[in-house]
Amino acid sequence: MNVPAVATPEATAPAVAAPEASPPAVAAPEARVPQARVPELGASDVTVSEVIADSADGERSIIAFLCRECAYSAADAAGNARTPLPPTIRTIMVPCTGRVSPLHLLAALADGADGIYVAGCLEGQCHYRVGNFHALDRVAFVRRLLESVGVEPERAAMFTMSAADTPRFVATARGMDATISRLPRLPRS
Amino acid sequence: MPLSARGRQVAGDLRGATSGVSAGVLGCEIARHDELCVGCGRCVSACPTGAMRQDDWFDPAQLFSAPAGTGRGALAAALRRIARHEPRGPFRVPDRVRTFRDILFSADLCAGCGACVRACPTGAVEALPVPVGDVEVAPRGLAPVGAGT
Repeated sequence: MNVPAVATPEATAPAVAAPEASPPAVAAPEARVPQARVPELGASDVTVSEVIADSADGERSIIAFLCRECAYSAADAAGNARTPLPPTIRTIMVPCTGRVSPLHLLAALADGADGIYVAGCLEGQCHYRVGNFHALDRVAFVRRLLESVGVEPERAAMFTMSAADTPRFVATARGMDATISRLPRLPRS
Repeated sequence: MPLSARGRQVAGDLRGATSGVSAGVLGCEIARHDELCVGCGRCVSACPTGAMRQDDWFDPAQLFSAPAGTGRGALAAALRRIARHEPRGPFRVPDRVRTFRDILFSADLCAGCGACVRACPTGAVEALPVPVGDVEVAPRGLAPVGAGT
């Protein structure tokens, strides 16, 4: 979390104590460098605000939680084929979509994302047997939770695809981008 | 039976609401503290009479009373940041979501055995001793020894 501050101790040495803890403004210039690596949930200390820090002002951002076995392979293939993807999509790799909890989804929305989606294996083809079914129901739960506080449930979605189905990954990413673009930016307090 | 240490610590941060008090016929009254409940359902599996039950519905308002520092508190904090109005519920919960369900408590089925109190990991269920003068002797089931002779 505070890694950027530690990286430049000499430059800011006299004033380190106060600004280190509080403002994201200090870390912003470094965080704005587009990240080449894909953050993996649980394996790094990357926060959602860092993941979307390089989005332009007013641009929507969508966090995609991708299953390592299926959807991430599809996304990887799309990248290798240089398929243009909406710039709003930010991917986070998860070992299995069953790892994604309602808290991950809601925290992503609260921390700056305008939409989130989970992409996992086809029904019945989860590498951990039932992870995608759990994810389906948790996303459904989050949608009802959003609805209960007056937020559009379309901001959360779940898709399933096979590892080889790059066209479907591209189609869902574009579809989600179109859905979120129609909605206003998510207001936060 | 008193609250557990963890329950006492969390309860100290709260406004102190108590709900769902029932008169048990065995030993004690069962009092539930909904704001401490994490919905794990252990009281439901422990209950020998079926007085505790997990519902198919969930009231999101319950999240907002959860103490900060707990998982439900974190969820409520995130939800509060994007909420447009107070939560309106309850709503039906999908099958595989097990922890976000209302725990229903039927006071008339409760025997007051306290199994739920021992099973609860957060101290959300409390057993209160029944004042001695209020104890009815065997209101149902076996007659007390010596009765009817």
